[in-house]
Amino acid sequence: MSDKNKGLSKAREIYSTRSQRVRELKAAGKKIIGYPCVYVPLEMLTALGLVPYRTYGDIKEPISEVDRALPSSFCPIMRSCLDCAMKGKDDFLDGMVTIHSCDPQEKTAHVWESYINYPYFHYIDMPITVRPEALEYFKSQLNDFRKTLEAFAGEKLSTDKLQAAIKSHNRQRALVKELYELTKPPPPLISGTEIVQVVKALMSLPVTEGNDLLTEIIDEVKNRTDKPEKKSARLFIWTGTLDDTDVMKVFEGKANVVMDESCGGIRSYRGEVKITADPLEALAKYYLYEITCARSFRQATIGETRKDYDRDLQSRFGYLKGIIKEWEINGAIILLVRYCDPFAFEIPDLRDYLNSLGIPSTYIEYDYTTGALAPMRTRVEAFLETIS
Amino acid sequence: MVEEKEKKAINRLKSMHPLRAKVNETYLKSVEAMQAGKPTVWAMLNWYYGDPILKAMDIEVVYPENYGAIAAATGAAQQYLERADADGFPSHLCGYSLNTLGYTARMMKDLNGQIPPEAPFGGMPKPLFLLSSAAICDARYKWFQALGRYIDAPVWALEAPTPGVKEFFIEGYYDKMVDLEVKHLRDFVAFVEGMVGKKMDWGKLEKTTDLMIEVNRVWYEVNELRKAKPCPMHSRDFWSAMPAALFLAGDLEDSLRLYQDMYNEVRDRVDRHISAIPEEKYRLVFAELPPWHSLGFFNKLAERGWNFVVESFGYRPPIPIDLSKVSDPLERITRFNLQFYVGYYEDARKQNVLGSSLAYPYVKYAREWKCDGAFLHPLISCRSASTHLPYVADMLMEELKVPSLTVEGDIVDLRLFNPEDALARAEPFEEAMEHYRKIRKEEGFDW
Repeated sequence: MSDKNKGLSKAREIYSTRSQRVRELKAAGKKIIGYPCVYVPLEMLTALGLVPYRTYGDIKEPISEVDRALPSSFCPIMRSCLDCAMKGKDDFLDGMVTIHSCDPQEKTAHVWESYINYPYFHYIDMPITVRPEALEYFKSQLNDFRKTLEAFAGEKLSTDKLQAAIKSHNRQRALVKELYELTKPPPPLISGTEIVQVVKALMSLPVTEGNDLLTEIIDEVKNRTDKPEKKSARLFIWTGTLDDTDVMKVFEGKANVVMDESCGGIRSYRGEVKITADPLEALAKYYLYEITCARSFRQATIGETRKDYDRDLQSRFGYLKGIIKEWEINGAIILLVRYCDPFAFEIPDLRDYLNSLGIPSTYIEYDYTTGALAPMRTRVEAFLETIS
Repeated sequence: MVEEKEKKAINRLKSMHPLRAKVNETYLKSVEAMQAGKPTVWAMLNWYYGDPILKAMDIEVVYPENYGAIAAATGAAQQYLERADADGFPSHLCGYSLNTLGYTARMMKDLNGQIPPEAPFGGMPKPLFLLSSAAICDARYKWFQALGRYIDAPVWALEAPTPGVKEFFIEGYYDKMVDLEVKHLRDFVAFVEGMVGKKMDWGKLEKTTDLMIEVNRVWYEVNELRKAKPCPMHSRDFWSAMPAALFLAGDLEDSLRLYQDMYNEVRDRVDRHISAIPEEKYRLVFAELPPWHSLGFFNKLAERGWNFVVESFGYRPPIPIDLSKVSDPLERITRFNLQFYVGYYEDARKQNVLGSSLAYPYVKYAREWKCDGAFLHPLISCRSASTHLPYVADMLMEELKVPSLTVEGDIVDLRLFNPEDALARAEPFEEAMEHYRKIRKEEGFDW
């Protein structure tokens, strides 16, 4: 019998009862700050002793409140997030930090601020290009964020504290990458479903507690005897957010999911923030340049005056080539949450790129509800038959 | 017979016709120039930011968003939508974008770069480059990036800072936005110079910028006159006249003269209490894009006494701002562009309407134009122009006791707007407007 207070069992427990730990921390005097997107620089919260808590949607929760605030043909994840907030499910939050990572995040942020009263609320604007002037602007945005955060926390954000927080979060990034290394063997030592639980647990805990949990999990997984069963396909899941194990289980019924490109998975952990004398600039660079979300406008050469489609694909998806080879991936699922424009526009280009690597792919769309799972299963099984 | 009656229902401005004719003529001349091989750029609506640069450089510009509306209205869009669908673009993407993607696939893959023969209004020739914009929605820069699989035209993505109403008032915030945009624009000028192989004529840019600002100032004043009761100008005239100011279509000196003529006509109507419709019973604000394919619908409502007195924040001129002391034309362009986005922020903050930079203007319009109701038109495939509408409805009721009628539609898919259905809802909505008129009176509002 596994110990519920350790490793994978603990992650599974936190996944199921997400807010329990932050509620305890709040009772002990800590301030809990929500964030709906991985582009929010958590290091700045951690450095001031604030506890970041990712606000997710819930595919099992029927929508009942949000229709008065957001239209029905709109990002179902943001609708679900705000619906949960409007029902008071995040009533322990002391504040909220939002960011213009995509249009629905930006639009929902302001509506959210209007409908839910938090002691602290801040919205960070974010440019779409990765140009030098955009970086400068984004850094100024983080500086403004620093000012409001300091006023809320009643404490100055020192360079030393910020660098220490960056190191803690970099440690978490390194540990997550180490965890994903354990999906390389056939069969993988950890399943995609377990990884969803682990990442969601990490986004529900202070960074140091998350790091301790990850260390336990890596140790446990390396030595486990109950590893996942080997299946015929090794899949890569490309999506905006995959944050529910029921969705991942659809893919893992007859395949091993060994890698993802999801902000419920590895996306925000791939790189690392540089330790420099100007930590704010380092954070701006990391969040603007390094996170591989479809929201950014990337080019083969900044300001290019000639367009070369192959180079363009390379600049946007080239990092996948090594991953596909190293993880011995033989199929890709392109999972689109309906109405997600940044990811939707990428689909034909991504499929072109995957084709160029000889990787078969299928595109599946869903509406972020459990009702979508049965047809999704049929589609996945049909795809697996074609590649097996 | 019906057509004759409809023509009488809305009393269109005489001065609108030459202005609109100028816009149409400019479009046709532009098509001819493009077909003759003059460098052409496909651009997204960019709210006075990239357009003055292109205009000063004598570049022909075509707006695929506008072309999407033309393709929809002429029925040509269907085959382009199907082509985009066949190429794997999800069907719930922006209808304008799918139209462009399908059109470009047809032009570049099937016809080796030739304009499709079935393309309405002369089509869109292969562009030298693409000018996208981050303003308002993600589609407007992702869509041009996605064209890369069909066309070897480079893309310039214009940045568009999007501040929150509260955050905007952090010390130094506005200056940082100006810094970003001016530097960005300077690089854009260098990019355009490289693409067309000639240097910017800075004197011409100065003149273009000043005319753009003045044209929009006069156009703003025209719309201010519409606060009069009865309202002398209907939204139909606004939508017909807006391209010359919004897209800088045509010669700007001509446009200035024509908007001044329009000002004089509207002023005269105000003085003589002439209404835009036979009997103004209800004053309404319209949000956002209208059903381009069913504009005759407004005549039916005009017959019922519905006067659309103010509309479409996204297409209205910025609140005038004095930029005469700003010597750098790029900074003048930047500040004018930013004024479009943040011109309402001070007021929004005071009123504590923080829900969206797109939402507050409607509260202001309803209050100042003394509206009895709001007609909200969410667009299925243009989510960004629709996201704020539930919040707008909530704020209009909470702040002003003004009811809203929401009728869904689309910018391309004509089947999604049912004018008959909408008309069937007119009578109950009139009862709601009457009811809330009484409530407003009881609560001390002055209309």
